[in-house]
Amino acid sequence: MYGVTALMETHLRNRLDRGSRRFGTGLSFAIFGLGGPLLSLTLFPFLRLVSPDKAVAQRRINAAMRRVMGLFIWFMKSLGLLTYELHGLERLARPGQLIVANHPTLIDVVFMLWLTPDAGCVVKRALWDNPALRWPVIWAGYIPNSAGTQLVPDCVRILQSGRSLLVFPEGTRSVPGQPLSLRRGAAQVALASHADVLPVTIVCDLPFLTRGSRWYRIPVRRPHFTITVGQAITAQRYALAGTPNSVAARHLTSLLAAHFARGIEAVMRVPAGAMHTNPPEPQSASL
Amino acid sequence: MHTEQEIFEQVRRVLAELFELPPEKILLDAHLYTDLDIDSLDAIDLILELKELTGRKVQPEQFKHVRTVRDVVTAVRTLLQDETAA
Repeated sequence: MYGVTALMETHLRNRLDRGSRRFGTGLSFAIFGLGGPLLSLTLFPFLRLVSPDKAVAQRRINAAMRRVMGLFIWFMKSLGLLTYELHGLERLARPGQLIVANHPTLIDVVFMLWLTPDAGCVVKRALWDNPALRWPVIWAGYIPNSAGTQLVPDCVRILQSGRSLLVFPEGTRSVPGQPLSLRRGAAQVALASHADVLPVTIVCDLPFLTRGSRWYRIPVRRPHFTITVGQAITAQRYALAGTPNSVAARHLTSLLAAHFARGIEAVMRVPAGAMHTNPPEPQSASL
Repeated sequence: MHTEQEIFEQVRRVLAELFELPPEKILLDAHLYTDLDIDSLDAIDLILELKELTGRKVQPEQFKHVRTVRDVVTAVRTLLQDETAA
Protein backbone atom coordinates (compact mmCIF):
# COMPACT_ATOMS: atom_id res chain seq x y z
CA MET A 1 0.00 0.00 0.00
CA TYR A 2 2.71 2.46 1.00
CA GLY A 3 5.98 2.80 -0.87
CA VAL A 4 9.29 2.84 0.92
CA THR A 5 9.61 6.62 0.58
CA ALA A 6 6.18 7.16 2.08
CA LEU A 7 7.15 4.96 4.99
CA MET A 8 10.33 6.91 5.58
CA GLU A 9 8.42 10.15 5.41
CA THR A 10 5.95 8.94 8.01
CA HIS A 11 8.80 7.85 10.18
CA LEU A 12 10.50 11.22 9.97
CA ARG A 13 7.29 13.14 10.58
CA ASN A 14 6.60 11.04 13.67
CA ARG A 15 9.97 11.97 15.10
CA LEU A 16 9.66 15.63 14.27
CA ASP A 17 6.26 16.04 15.81
CA ARG A 18 7.23 14.38 19.04
CA GLY A 19 8.14 17.66 20.68
CA SER A 20 4.89 19.27 19.67
CA ARG A 21 2.98 16.26 20.98
CA ARG A 22 4.75 16.62 24.29
CA PHE A 23 3.71 20.26 24.41
CA GLY A 24 0.15 19.35 23.40
CA THR A 25 -0.10 16.68 26.07
CA GLY A 26 1.07 19.14 28.71
CA LEU A 27 -1.43 21.68 27.46
CA SER A 28 -4.24 19.10 27.59
CA PHE A 29 -3.33 18.25 31.15
CA ALA A 30 -3.34 21.91 32.12
CA ILE A 31 -6.73 22.44 30.49
CA PHE A 32 -8.18 19.35 32.14
CA GLY A 33 -6.66 20.25 35.50
CA LEU A 34 -7.94 23.81 35.43
CA GLY A 35 -11.09 23.28 33.34
CA GLY A 36 -12.48 20.56 35.58
CA PRO A 37 -12.57 22.66 38.74
CA LEU A 38 -13.62 25.73 36.73
CA LEU A 39 -16.68 23.94 35.29
CA SER A 40 -17.35 22.51 38.72
CA LEU A 41 -17.63 26.02 40.09
CA THR A 42 -19.61 27.49 37.18
CA LEU A 43 -21.51 25.32 34.69
CA PHE A 44 -22.40 22.40 36.97
CA PRO A 45 -23.70 24.47 39.92
CA PHE A 46 -25.59 26.59 37.39
CA LEU A 47 -27.25 23.48 35.92
CA ARG A 48 -28.10 22.27 39.41
CA LEU A 49 -29.60 25.65 40.31
CA VAL A 50 -31.81 26.00 37.26
CA SER A 51 -33.11 22.42 37.49
CA PRO A 52 -36.37 21.84 39.36
CA ASP A 53 -35.19 18.62 41.01
CA LYS A 54 -32.29 16.23 41.46
CA ALA A 55 -33.30 13.92 38.63
CA VAL A 56 -33.47 16.69 36.03
CA ALA A 57 -30.20 18.14 37.30
CA GLN A 58 -28.57 14.75 37.05
CA ARG A 59 -29.67 14.30 33.43
CA ARG A 60 -28.51 17.77 32.44
CA ILE A 61 -25.19 17.45 34.22
CA ASN A 62 -24.59 14.07 32.62
CA ALA A 63 -25.39 15.51 29.20
CA ALA A 64 -23.03 18.43 29.83
CA MET A 65 -20.33 16.10 31.13
CA ARG A 66 -20.64 14.05 27.95
CA ARG A 67 -20.14 17.10 25.76
CA VAL A 68 -17.17 18.28 27.78
CA MET A 69 -15.54 14.87 27.53
CA GLY A 70 -16.23 14.72 23.79
CA LEU A 71 -14.74 18.18 23.40
CA PHE A 72 -11.65 17.12 25.26
CA ILE A 73 -11.10 14.05 23.06
CA TRP A 74 -11.69 16.19 19.98
CA PHE A 75 -9.13 18.67 21.30
CA MET A 76 -6.51 15.97 21.86
CA LYS A 77 -7.20 14.50 18.44
CA SER A 78 -7.00 17.91 16.76
CA LEU A 79 -3.65 18.59 18.39
CA GLY A 80 -2.46 15.36 16.81
CA LEU A 81 -1.92 13.67 20.17
CA LEU A 82 -3.88 10.55 19.32
CA THR A 83 -6.12 8.86 16.78
CA TYR A 84 -8.96 6.48 17.50
CA GLU A 85 -11.46 4.11 15.99
CA LEU A 86 -14.74 3.04 17.58
CA HIS A 87 -16.68 -0.17 17.00
CA GLY A 88 -20.16 -1.28 18.07
CA LEU A 89 -21.10 2.04 19.70
CA GLU A 90 -24.82 1.51 19.06
CA ARG A 91 -24.79 -1.19 21.76
CA LEU A 92 -23.99 1.41 24.40
CA ALA A 93 -27.32 3.12 23.85
CA ARG A 94 -29.48 0.46 25.50
CA PRO A 95 -30.30 1.64 29.03
CA GLY A 96 -29.80 -0.34 32.22
CA GLN A 97 -26.64 -2.20 31.20
CA LEU A 98 -23.57 -2.81 33.29
CA ILE A 99 -20.80 -1.50 31.06
CA VAL A 100 -17.40 -2.89 32.01
CA ALA A 101 -14.21 -1.69 30.39
CA ASN A 102 -10.55 -2.46 30.80
CA HIS A 103 -8.38 0.45 31.83
CA PRO A 104 -5.04 0.87 30.04
CA THR A 105 -4.71 4.66 30.06
CA LEU A 106 -5.54 7.78 32.02
CA ILE A 107 -8.14 8.96 29.49
CA ASP A 108 -10.28 5.79 29.24
CA VAL A 109 -12.90 7.31 31.48
CA VAL A 110 -12.97 10.43 29.29
CA PHE A 111 -13.64 8.27 26.23
CA MET A 112 -16.27 6.20 27.99
CA LEU A 113 -18.17 9.13 29.50
CA TRP A 114 -18.24 10.74 26.09
CA LEU A 115 -19.45 7.59 24.28
CA THR A 116 -22.04 6.37 26.78
CA PRO A 117 -25.44 8.07 26.95
CA ASP A 118 -26.67 8.75 30.48
CA ALA A 119 -24.58 6.44 32.61
CA GLY A 120 -23.65 6.39 36.25
CA CYS A 121 -20.04 5.62 36.95
CA VAL A 122 -17.99 4.15 39.75
CA VAL A 123 -15.14 6.58 40.28
CA LYS A 124 -12.28 7.17 42.67
CA ARG A 125 -13.31 7.82 46.23
CA ALA A 126 -10.71 10.62 46.38
CA LEU A 127 -12.96 12.83 44.23
CA TRP A 128 -15.31 13.17 47.21
CA ASP A 129 -12.48 14.82 49.15
CA ASN A 130 -11.80 17.32 46.38
CA PRO A 131 -13.61 20.57 47.24
CA ALA A 132 -14.19 21.50 43.58
CA LEU A 133 -15.13 18.11 42.12
CA ARG A 134 -17.06 16.77 45.07
CA TRP A 135 -20.43 18.29 44.21
CA PRO A 136 -20.46 17.59 40.47
CA VAL A 137 -19.81 13.88 41.06
CA ILE A 138 -22.64 13.81 43.60
CA TRP A 139 -24.98 15.69 41.27
CA ALA A 140 -24.05 13.42 38.38
CA GLY A 141 -25.08 10.44 40.52
CA TYR A 142 -21.64 8.79 40.51
CA ILE A 143 -20.64 6.20 43.07
CA PRO A 144 -17.38 6.21 45.05
CA ASN A 145 -15.34 3.01 44.89
CA SER A 146 -14.15 1.34 48.10
CA ALA A 147 -17.43 2.08 49.83
CA GLY A 148 -17.18 -1.41 51.34
CA THR A 149 -20.33 -3.48 51.49
CA GLN A 150 -22.42 -0.49 50.38
CA LEU A 151 -20.86 -0.45 46.90
CA VAL A 152 -22.75 -3.39 45.38
CA PRO A 153 -26.24 -2.32 46.56
CA ASP A 154 -25.55 1.25 45.35
CA CYS A 155 -24.62 -0.05 41.91
CA VAL A 156 -27.63 -2.36 41.79
CA ARG A 157 -29.92 0.55 42.61
CA ILE A 158 -28.60 2.61 39.68
CA LEU A 159 -29.08 -0.28 37.25
CA GLN A 160 -32.57 -1.04 38.50
CA SER A 161 -33.52 2.60 38.05
CA GLY A 162 -32.90 2.01 34.34
CA ARG A 163 -29.62 3.88 33.99
CA SER A 164 -26.51 2.18 32.73
CA LEU A 165 -23.50 1.94 34.97
CA LEU A 166 -19.89 2.23 33.88
CA VAL A 167 -17.31 0.25 35.84
CA PHE A 168 -13.61 -0.38 35.36
CA PRO A 169 -13.25 -3.75 37.12
CA GLU A 170 -9.47 -3.46 37.33
CA GLY A 171 -10.06 -0.72 39.89
CA THR A 172 -7.06 1.18 38.63
CA ARG A 173 -5.04 1.37 35.43
CA SER A 174 -3.55 -1.88 34.10
CA VAL A 175 0.05 -2.72 34.83
CA PRO A 176 1.68 -2.54 31.38
CA GLY A 177 2.84 -5.93 30.14
CA GLN A 178 0.99 -7.87 32.86
CA PRO A 179 -2.20 -9.92 32.48
CA LEU A 180 -5.26 -7.93 33.56
CA SER A 181 -6.24 -8.34 37.18
CA LEU A 182 -10.00 -7.90 37.58
CA ARG A 183 -11.78 -7.42 40.88
CA ARG A 184 -15.00 -9.38 41.17
CA GLY A 185 -17.24 -6.53 42.32
CA ALA A 186 -18.55 -5.88 38.80
CA ALA A 187 -19.58 -9.52 38.43
CA GLN A 188 -21.25 -9.39 41.84
CA VAL A 189 -23.22 -6.34 40.70
CA ALA A 190 -24.27 -8.11 37.50
CA LEU A 191 -25.43 -11.19 39.42
CA ALA A 192 -27.29 -9.16 42.03
CA SER A 193 -28.96 -6.78 39.57
CA HIS A 194 -29.76 -9.21 36.73
CA ALA A 195 -28.44 -6.55 34.36
CA ASP A 196 -26.69 -7.56 31.15
CA VAL A 197 -22.95 -7.02 31.05
CA LEU A 198 -21.58 -5.09 28.10
CA PRO A 199 -17.81 -5.51 27.78
CA VAL A 200 -15.82 -2.69 26.18
CA THR A 201 -12.24 -3.39 25.20
CA ILE A 202 -9.94 -0.38 25.08
CA VAL A 203 -6.62 -0.82 23.35
CA CYS A 204 -3.93 1.80 22.94
CA ASP A 205 -1.25 0.50 20.59
CA LEU A 206 1.62 2.28 22.38
CA PRO A 207 2.28 2.95 26.06
CA PHE A 208 0.57 6.30 26.59
CA LEU A 209 -0.58 7.77 29.90
CA THR A 210 -0.20 4.35 31.46
CA ARG A 211 0.04 3.59 35.13
CA GLY A 212 3.36 4.55 36.63
CA SER A 213 4.53 6.52 33.59
CA ARG A 214 4.98 10.27 33.46
CA TRP A 215 2.76 12.18 31.07
CA TYR A 216 5.81 13.64 29.32
CA ARG A 217 7.03 10.17 28.33
CA ILE A 218 5.62 10.67 24.86
CA PRO A 219 5.50 7.65 22.55
CA VAL A 220 7.64 7.75 19.43
CA ARG A 221 4.61 8.13 17.25
CA ARG A 222 1.00 9.12 17.71
CA PRO A 223 -0.85 6.46 19.74
CA HIS A 224 -3.96 4.89 18.24
CA PHE A 225 -6.93 3.89 20.39
CA THR A 226 -9.25 1.08 19.34
CA ILE A 227 -12.44 0.91 21.39
CA THR A 228 -14.65 -2.10 20.75
CA VAL A 229 -18.04 -2.61 22.33
CA GLY A 230 -18.64 -6.36 22.56
CA GLN A 231 -21.84 -8.38 22.67
CA ALA A 232 -23.89 -8.18 25.86
CA ILE A 233 -23.42 -11.09 28.25
CA THR A 234 -26.38 -12.45 30.20
CA ALA A 235 -24.97 -12.64 33.70
CA GLN A 236 -27.81 -14.84 34.88
CA ARG A 237 -26.39 -17.70 32.83
CA TYR A 238 -23.74 -17.96 35.52
CA ALA A 239 -26.15 -17.97 38.42
CA LEU A 240 -27.13 -21.62 38.04
CA ALA A 241 -29.18 -23.25 40.75
CA GLY A 242 -26.90 -24.60 43.44
CA THR A 243 -23.93 -22.52 42.33
CA PRO A 244 -22.76 -20.33 45.20
CA ASN A 245 -22.67 -16.65 44.37
CA SER A 246 -18.94 -16.57 45.04
CA VAL A 247 -18.37 -19.23 42.38
CA ALA A 248 -20.66 -17.57 39.81
CA ALA A 249 -18.82 -14.26 40.33
CA ARG A 250 -15.51 -16.01 39.75
CA HIS A 251 -16.69 -17.61 36.52
CA LEU A 252 -18.15 -14.41 35.15
CA THR A 253 -14.99 -12.49 36.08
CA SER A 254 -12.77 -15.07 34.34
CA LEU A 255 -14.95 -14.83 31.27
CA LEU A 256 -14.54 -11.05 31.22
CA ALA A 257 -10.78 -11.28 31.73
CA ALA A 258 -10.56 -13.73 28.83
CA HIS A 259 -12.74 -11.47 26.67
CA PHE A 260 -10.49 -8.46 27.30
CA ALA A 261 -7.31 -10.48 26.77
CA ARG A 262 -8.61 -11.81 23.44
CA GLY A 263 -9.76 -8.36 22.36
CA ILE A 264 -6.43 -6.75 23.19
CA GLU A 265 -4.51 -9.48 21.43
CA ALA A 266 -6.69 -9.28 18.32
CA VAL A 267 -6.10 -5.52 17.98
CA MET A 268 -2.39 -5.66 18.72
CA ARG A 269 -1.80 -8.44 16.22
CA VAL A 270 -3.60 -6.87 13.28
CA PRO A 271 -1.87 -3.64 12.31
CA ALA A 272 -4.31 -0.76 11.89
CA GLY A 273 -2.16 0.94 9.25
CA ALA A 274 1.08 0.77 7.38
CA MET A 275 2.79 2.75 10.13
CA HIS A 276 3.02 -0.45 12.09
CA THR A 277 5.53 -1.78 9.63
CA ASN A 278 8.06 0.82 10.79
CA PRO A 279 11.32 -0.62 12.08
CA PRO A 280 11.43 -0.78 15.89
CA GLU A 281 12.51 2.47 17.48
CA PRO A 282 15.66 2.58 19.57
CA GLN A 283 14.81 2.62 23.25
CA SER A 284 16.85 5.74 23.97
CA ALA A 285 15.04 7.83 21.38
CA SER A 286 14.83 11.37 22.65
CA LEU A 287 14.11 14.70 21.10
CA MET B 1 -16.53 -32.30 71.14
CA HIS B 2 -15.14 -30.58 68.05
CA THR B 3 -11.43 -30.92 67.75
CA GLU B 4 -9.36 -28.23 66.10
CA GLN B 5 -8.63 -30.69 63.29
CA GLU B 6 -12.31 -31.41 62.66
CA ILE B 7 -13.15 -27.74 62.49
CA PHE B 8 -10.23 -27.13 60.17
CA GLU B 9 -11.41 -29.89 57.82
CA GLN B 10 -14.89 -28.36 57.72
CA VAL B 11 -13.56 -24.86 57.11
CA ARG B 12 -11.28 -26.19 54.40
CA ARG B 13 -14.18 -27.90 52.67
CA VAL B 14 -16.30 -24.72 52.80
CA LEU B 15 -13.48 -22.57 51.47
CA ALA B 16 -12.71 -25.03 48.69
CA GLU B 17 -16.36 -25.16 47.60
CA LEU B 18 -17.20 -21.49 47.89
CA PHE B 19 -14.05 -20.13 46.33
CA GLU B 20 -12.96 -22.95 44.03
CA LEU B 21 -9.66 -23.37 45.80
CA PRO B 22 -7.47 -26.45 45.64
CA PRO B 23 -7.64 -27.94 49.17
CA GLU B 24 -3.85 -28.23 49.38
CA LYS B 25 -3.59 -24.42 49.20
CA ILE B 26 -5.83 -24.01 52.23
CA LEU B 27 -3.34 -24.14 55.08
CA LEU B 28 -3.84 -22.79 58.59
CA ASP B 29 -1.44 -19.94 58.00
CA ALA B 30 -2.76 -19.04 54.54
CA HIS B 31 -3.87 -15.42 54.42
CA LEU B 32 -7.43 -15.07 53.11
CA TYR B 33 -6.90 -11.91 51.08
CA THR B 34 -3.38 -12.28 49.80
CA ASP B 35 -2.92 -16.07 49.52
CA LEU B 36 -6.45 -17.24 48.74
CA ASP B 37 -7.79 -14.22 46.81
CA ILE B 38 -10.91 -13.93 48.96
CA ASP B 39 -12.34 -10.40 48.81
CA SER B 40 -14.70 -8.51 51.11
CA LEU B 41 -17.77 -9.67 49.17
CA ASP B 42 -16.60 -13.28 49.41
CA ALA B 43 -16.28 -12.77 53.16
CA ILE B 44 -20.02 -12.14 53.32
CA ASP B 45 -20.68 -15.43 51.52
CA LEU B 46 -18.28 -17.17 53.87
CA ILE B 47 -19.99 -15.83 56.97
CA LEU B 48 -23.40 -16.92 55.66
CA GLU B 49 -22.06 -20.40 55.00
CA LEU B 50 -20.50 -20.66 58.46
CA LYS B 51 -23.79 -19.58 59.95
CA GLU B 52 -25.39 -22.51 58.19
CA LEU B 53 -22.65 -24.87 59.27
CA THR B 54 -22.63 -23.98 62.95
CA GLY B 55 -26.33 -23.29 63.26
CA ARG B 56 -25.38 -20.23 65.30
CA LYS B 57 -26.15 -16.59 64.85
CA VAL B 58 -23.04 -15.04 63.38
CA GLN B 59 -22.35 -11.35 63.72
CA PRO B 60 -20.14 -9.92 60.97
CA GLU B 61 -18.20 -8.11 63.73
CA GLN B 62 -16.98 -11.47 64.99
CA PHE B 63 -15.12 -11.84 61.72
CA LYS B 64 -13.77 -8.33 61.55
CA HIS B 65 -10.28 -9.32 62.63
CA VAL B 66 -10.13 -12.56 60.72
CA ARG B 67 -7.12 -12.59 58.41
CA THR B 68 -5.96 -16.19 58.09
CA VAL B 69 -7.55 -19.62 57.85
CA ARG B 70 -6.46 -20.18 61.46
CA ASP B 71 -8.47 -17.10 62.47
CA VAL B 72 -11.55 -18.59 60.78
CA VAL B 73 -11.05 -21.87 62.65
CA THR B 74 -10.68 -19.98 65.94
CA ALA B 75 -13.80 -17.92 65.25
CA VAL B 76 -15.81 -21.06 64.46
CA ARG B 77 -14.54 -22.77 67.61
CA THR B 78 -15.58 -19.76 69.67
CA LEU B 79 -19.04 -19.94 68.12
CA LEU B 80 -19.37 -23.62 68.91
CA GLN B 81 -18.14 -23.13 72.47
CA ASP B 82 -20.76 -20.47 73.01
CA GLU B 83 -23.25 -23.10 71.92
CA THR B 84 -22.10 -25.66 74.49
CA ALA B 85 -22.04 -23.00 77.19
CA ALA B 86 -25.59 -21.94 76.41
